[in-house]
Amino acid sequence: MAESNPPPRSSYIARVETFFDHTDDTRSLFLRLPDGFKLKFSAGQFISILIPLGDETRRRPYSIVSTPPQSDLLEICFNRVANGRGVEWLFERVVGDPIEFMGPFGAFTMTAPPQIETIFVAEGTAIAPILPMLHLAQSGPHASMLLLYTASSQGHILYRKELENLAAHDSNFKFETTIHQPDLYEHLYSDVNRRWVAADTSRARQFYICGIGKSVTRMRDLLRSSGYERREVHYEQW
Amino acid sequence: MAKLRIKFENGEADRVIEFDPKDAPFHHDGRPGSILDILLGHKIHLEHACGGNCACTTCHVVIKEGMDKLSEAEESEEDMLDKAPGLTPTSRLGCQAVVEDPNAEITVVIPRFTINLASENRDDS
Repeated sequence: MAESNPPPRSSYIARVETFFDHTDDTRSLFLRLPDGFKLKFSAGQFISILIPLGDETRRRPYSIVSTPPQSDLLEICFNRVANGRGVEWLFERVVGDPIEFMGPFGAFTMTAPPQIETIFVAEGTAIAPILPMLHLAQSGPHASMLLLYTASSQGHILYRKELENLAAHDSNFKFETTIHQPDLYEHLYSDVNRRWVAADTSRARQFYICGIGKSVTRMRDLLRSSGYERREVHYEQW
Repeated sequence: MAKLRIKFENGEADRVIEFDPKDAPFHHDGRPGSILDILLGHKIHLEHACGGNCACTTCHVVIKEGMDKLSEAEESEEDMLDKAPGLTPTSRLGCQAVVEDPNAEITVVIPRFTINLASENRDDS
């Protein structure tokens, strides 16, 4: 049976320019867009990669790590997961290979340097959408920013040098890293609860939370139920 | 058997799917038994740029009949729908709206373009 449509969105072909292995299970691919083409995007958005698997094409989202507002070289970062056939396909790509994608998409975004205190919460590769937000924030005057970043090992704290460099040049940005297994978010949840719910009555701040699983929405619920404005609790759950 | 009628705002002919919700999942994207899952499992394309993870609005559909036969929208879906262009009182995300009633009769409209908050901007200069 032929597929029925609304007409498909336009897609673009990029080519793998290079890659970088953060660890043995975590890789960045750098995708060069066609000549003269620059993708406009907001910090935090993702592209949807069309991955051919068998007789079908699956769409899988990958956050754009590159700095907005536009670029002709897109970095995406991913790690191996159980039964992750799409990720395995990406790991098999080599320099020069074409990759078809659509986008950008997504509403977990920052569009201007924040003017209220901002807490970022991330684990593992979920740092990917937040890193461009930090770069965007440093393009102008901004309120204080703190990143809580946890991973399963020191090696899985990604972009450490870049984060250190950002903090070294910006007295309004600090980051804290922690190592926890197996539930990375349990520690973050406790930390957020202790510092910004139980011990602080101010609600004049915003949160950007990114991670995997129900722990993300659990943290969202904690913050919103404790009096933070709904629109000030941004989150992306994968 | 439940019945799902799909109307396309682009003028394409209506499609009707009869299915048993107990057979879900029909595909591998979106919540099992969701409108997205049912459509993809019956070879009807509905965009889902985030893979059916409630992280975009490209699977936005409008329910014309049978709203009460679908699962309740959760907060994550409502947050995302807030950002959907063309939002209506009966808008749902196809990846999240699950058909639960085995005798449901539901009619959905797939908007001509389910354009996201910001998408597909390009600069060829």
